[in-house]
Amino acid sequence: MKILKKCPILVGIVVITIALSIVSLIFKDTVYAGYADKYESGDIPLMALALKGATDEIFPWSSTEEEALLPEDTQGPDEGKELTEEESEPEGSEEPLEVVDISGNDISGNDISGNDVSGNSEDITYEFTEVDDDYFTDAVFIGDSRTVGLSEYCEPLDTRATFYAKVSLTIYDVFKKEYIKTDDGKIGLEQALTENQYGKVYIMLGLNEIGTGDNEYFKNAYAEVINKIRELQPDAIIYIQGIMHVAAAKSRVDKNFNNEKINSRNASLAELADNKTIFFIDMNESVDDEEGNLDSTLSSDDVHLKASAYERWHEFLLHNAIVR
Amino acid sequence: MVNFSDLNFIFRFLPVFLVAFYLTPVRFRTWTLLFGSLLFYAVGDLRMFPALLAAVIVNFLFAKAQFGEKSKSLLFFVLAIDAGMLIEFKILGQYVDKSLLPIGISFYIFKMISYQMDVYRGKVEKDASFVDVAAYFCMFPQVVSGPIMRFDKYLENTALREKTSLSQIAESIEDGLRFFVAGLAMKVLLADHLAMLWKDIGTIGYESISTPLAWLGAVTYSLELYFDFWGYSLMAAGIGVMIGFPFITNFDHPYGSGSVSEFYRRWHATLGSWFRDYIYIPLGGSRKGEARTVFNLLVVWLVTGFWHGITLNFIIWGLSLCFLIICERLFVLKRFPAPLSKFVGKVNVLILIPLTWVVFAISDFDMLGTYFSRLFPFTGSGIAVNQGDFLKNIGIYWTVLLPSLILLIPKVYDFWVNRRNRWIFNILWLILFWACIYSLAGAAGNPFMYFKF
Repeated sequence: MKILKKCPILVGIVVITIALSIVSLIFKDTVYAGYADKYESGDIPLMALALKGATDEIFPWSSTEEEALLPEDTQGPDEGKELTEEESEPEGSEEPLEVVDISGNDISGNDISGNDVSGNSEDITYEFTEVDDDYFTDAVFIGDSRTVGLSEYCEPLDTRATFYAKVSLTIYDVFKKEYIKTDDGKIGLEQALTENQYGKVYIMLGLNEIGTGDNEYFKNAYAEVINKIRELQPDAIIYIQGIMHVAAAKSRVDKNFNNEKINSRNASLAELADNKTIFFIDMNESVDDEEGNLDSTLSSDDVHLKASAYERWHEFLLHNAIVR
Repeated sequence: MVNFSDLNFIFRFLPVFLVAFYLTPVRFRTWTLLFGSLLFYAVGDLRMFPALLAAVIVNFLFAKAQFGEKSKSLLFFVLAIDAGMLIEFKILGQYVDKSLLPIGISFYIFKMISYQMDVYRGKVEKDASFVDVAAYFCMFPQVVSGPIMRFDKYLENTALREKTSLSQIAESIEDGLRFFVAGLAMKVLLADHLAMLWKDIGTIGYESISTPLAWLGAVTYSLELYFDFWGYSLMAAGIGVMIGFPFITNFDHPYGSGSVSEFYRRWHATLGSWFRDYIYIPLGGSRKGEARTVFNLLVVWLVTGFWHGITLNFIIWGLSLCFLIICERLFVLKRFPAPLSKFVGKVNVLILIPLTWVVFAISDFDMLGTYFSRLFPFTGSGIAVNQGDFLKNIGIYWTVLLPSLILLIPKVYDFWVNRRNRWIFNILWLILFWACIYSLAGAAGNPFMYFKF
């Protein structure tokens, strides 16, 4: 008792440390299995397992079946940055509704027929053409911090299109998180896409989760998301955007966030396109240097475009549009 | 691990060291401190460990020779070795490879220089033993980033010399812990979060920030640097207290100062007093007339600039501060009427100092120019500026900015210091500690900014 009176903070720290260590030890191989390697390699003390778990909302009473290791957020430190939903109601102004029946609705999960332009039902080949900014008045952009940046620093798009983007968003949680701000609070993507119809859906996701799972796993998750968007937006052109590269300095040293990995993910994404209603576009050509890395002059942190460089992305979109 | 806000330091090295330290009989405690410190350094920078060892041995031997007859040439010789070593490694680190700059060299060399001069001046009375001198140079609470404690303060340590009762030990550890936690919270909860905003501004690109955001950035970076380094200093001083050293004040509410010269007596005080005692005063200080004073100040600030880094921005930083201090000396404090001089002094501290930190922060000269053109937009307009960026960032970061600004008020910290053993603060500090640990466990911490110097 005397010692508690003399050093209450020390005692408090020691007692809590012991308690956390015991909890960590007991659940090391079950709920905290995802972090155990960090402990075993000596990177973190034992008690940190319980705290690391808590930051990912994993507690001893959590079921172990959930993904133990959530994708890390390396995108932007400022979580909680959300975009407000655009006021402007998308109009189907550019929907000529040609007689062509674009039956892209039959992508089912894993079975995606790839890039065969001359599909079985209709032999129509679409080509990317140049459009003007009004093309985007009925477009919605879904993405992570990079798309957030596009909304903040590309006025022509921001004033016309809708943005459902959030820092550190991943393909795995895009339909799980309620991240879209509306006047009546936050809603999920499913609700937002149910209440509003768009002519074009642009999606760029995949960097935050690049350390999670393999290409196949990623591709399947992506396909599911595309399916769901297809269901909710039957008439929209869906643009799968290849993941933007990182700069060479990052790519060289990072075992996950490197362009080799990004390119292989992008190759998988390209297979999801049917080139009838779902198209794959890769804006990297507009921001890459000669070696195929994000041009370092366009980025201060090697991951995000500088504000002044978003115009390149915008220009790319203007020149790579589908008009039906 | 050589980072006080690293979980391995807090939960592995520090507790093990403290137990070992106090279990060692008093006679051998200095050895425990020395070996613990060497281990600490070796873990952080094994490659440059021999450089530290060599410097310790050379400086010990030269100082030992000075205990007999004083020799000025001997002093100059060893000072040249020390300064040469510092300059050489700085150049290697700057122009060849960053990893060639030994951790903490700027700080341990300054300690060595101060020791040599103190011995020469007869301030160190008896022939100090090797283990004491080596432990003083290498002690892990200070080896990485200061504070630059003097040898006489080292000798004030009681735990190294007298038998300590269990209750004295408990008291030292508890009180040291209070300062450590305060520093940890400043570093982890304030500085690291302010760093995110500063980084975000960099991500946007300086050419695209609005003028209000540019000013917010200047304030943010100033606060970040302050809490990063004040926090570090409190942690270092706190660990010192835990092992029986007197509390070393390195920051004394600099933003409460009335002039730039006062600011630098209260900011990183052990560095400022080092420059005063070992450069400015030996050059004649302010006793040899105005022209000589100006020259001496110029030397001090040029050296300060170079000490921080061999890039143009640090030189400009040092020179602009020198200019401000000279102006204050010659005009503001001397010739201006009292209310005006007080006002100008405050403006200097609260507006010009943050601007000098911007110069300090941005080493690329073109980018620095761009930043200033956003601070003062009449020199040009930005590219793709989003005027809403200021409010957006205030919305995200006000929870960090507000407490940081409140902590600038000296009375707030002093209130705690004077009542720090009250129960309410004990409970609060325990919560604060775990809040920091929770935050550290969740994210990889970013090392102290001053490590690169």
